[in-house]
Amino acid sequence: MLSSRMRSEPWRAAPFLLPLLALLAAWFVWPLAQALTNSLHPNTPQGIDAGQWTLANYARIADPLYAGVVVRTLRISALVTAISSLLVYPVALATTRLGPRREALAILAYVSPWLVNTLVKALGWNLLLRPTGLVNAALGEIGAGPLRLMLNETGVVIALIPGHFMFVLLPVWAALKGLDPALGWAAGTLGASRAGVFWRVLFPLTLPALIAGLAINFIMNTTAFAIPMLLGGLRNETASMLAYRVNLVMLDWPFGGAVAVVLLVFTLLLVWGGQRIATLAVPGPRA
Amino acid sequence: MIAAVNALVLAFVLAPIVLVVWMSFTPAAFFALPTGQFSLRWYREALSYPGFVDAFFLSLELAALAAVLALAAAFLAAYGLVRFRPPGSGALTALFLSPLLVPAVVFGIAMLQFVNRIGLYNSLFGLVLAHAVIVCPYAMRSLEVTLRAVPEEMEWAAMVLGPNRMATLVRVTLPLCARGLLTAFLFCFLLSFSDVTVTIFMAGPSLQTLPVRLYTYMSDRVDPTVAAVSSMVVLITLALVLLAALLGGVRRLVTR
Repeated sequence: MLSSRMRSEPWRAAPFLLPLLALLAAWFVWPLAQALTNSLHPNTPQGIDAGQWTLANYARIADPLYAGVVVRTLRISALVTAISSLLVYPVALATTRLGPRREALAILAYVSPWLVNTLVKALGWNLLLRPTGLVNAALGEIGAGPLRLMLNETGVVIALIPGHFMFVLLPVWAALKGLDPALGWAAGTLGASRAGVFWRVLFPLTLPALIAGLAINFIMNTTAFAIPMLLGGLRNETASMLAYRVNLVMLDWPFGGAVAVVLLVFTLLLVWGGQRIATLAVPGPRA
Repeated sequence: MIAAVNALVLAFVLAPIVLVVWMSFTPAAFFALPTGQFSLRWYREALSYPGFVDAFFLSLELAALAAVLALAAAFLAAYGLVRFRPPGSGALTALFLSPLLVPAVVFGIAMLQFVNRIGLYNSLFGLVLAHAVIVCPYAMRSLEVTLRAVPEEMEWAAMVLGPNRMATLVRVTLPLCARGLLTAFLFCFLLSFSDVTVTIFMAGPSLQTLPVRLYTYMSDRVDPTVAAVSSMVVLITLALVLLAALLGGVRRLVTR
């Protein structure tokens, strides 16, 4: 009875929802809206000219000066996502076979790079990849190298992989765990080889999870900031570094706002697209 | 075969973190892998550098304030959603989780332009609220699960015995959620404590948090002092995560 009284007065939820709504409205929705309107005004030496409206800030992103940054960002991100997609199945399958205790530890280990501060990882990769770093020292021992492994795109790709691997691993691992263990066995009794079981049973059934994970991974790569900055260097500018330069060095907020809006729209499209493809990928009932 | 790949990838993922901690104990004046001799000289160095010490305390303060603020707002909101099921709950939940969808760079740019416009550039207040926004989806997700696990009958029983809803919330519901609140606090604290990007974009010169200070330092030079500071950061992270794991909250936050 008490419960039905509560349900019939849903407006009583309002005071509970209000603080969080206020916080998000004032410090999240409003600032984003303001960046959007800033991006539609021209920048003048006196500041933002709010009297005029323009799309010129968006056209500037296509300028050859900045288009190279876009292409580089997409290239690095695609490479990281592709390598992650190759690594994910061996890792996920091996992890599910470890037994509960070691499995939990392995998952925690794969999640840890995401929990540990990016700068710690950047420092670690710097120590490994720099000209006098551990990798080149090891190569020197066997008479090879030295290789140029950082302050270029190679360094960025290497350092981004582990940091964002978890976004692919967790969905695929969870999807594999969710499958009936008898599936592989059943396919085996019907004559499928181990590769056949994987390609014709496990892979198609976990493909939606993989696609959703890859989309998130790709976004995390395109919007990464500290790793590209510290391992790629200023000469290998990526989207986030450009956003930093435009907003904090050039102080051109209308153009900076346009960069933000484009990155946000791109992100939302990928999340939405990833989930749509994921639902289309497997016809019929899904786990 | 796949076990070998797993071991290699695991090593690849953990190598940079392990290496930083290992090298921070070098007795040498440069980066070297200490084998026989270990020293704390770089920790002494780090702790006597006021830039890092001040930044550390600022980060602690910021993370604690942001986490408490986000938890308070998210707890109330989760309570409102779970107990009253107002119309549009789905849309409200989506809004509360939406900061997850906005990349840190984008939010950083928006906050930079916003705090400058309203004259709060370089203020701790502005930064605390921004961090509260970043962590609130995690608090929300975790507290919704926590609240659903608290039997509503307990609240009814309390209310029948006299106290009104607010008193019941404070004296019955809140204690029942203590464990979930603590886990959520640890994660929110850790996420705020780790944020680099949003803070770099919007924080002014007097708000150099530990990650920002590390970033500026590393852009300039890399010496074992940063390794010592980084190792302490790793230690803090590890402690927070282990504590959260003991409270049983890791899986809830990393899987959906």
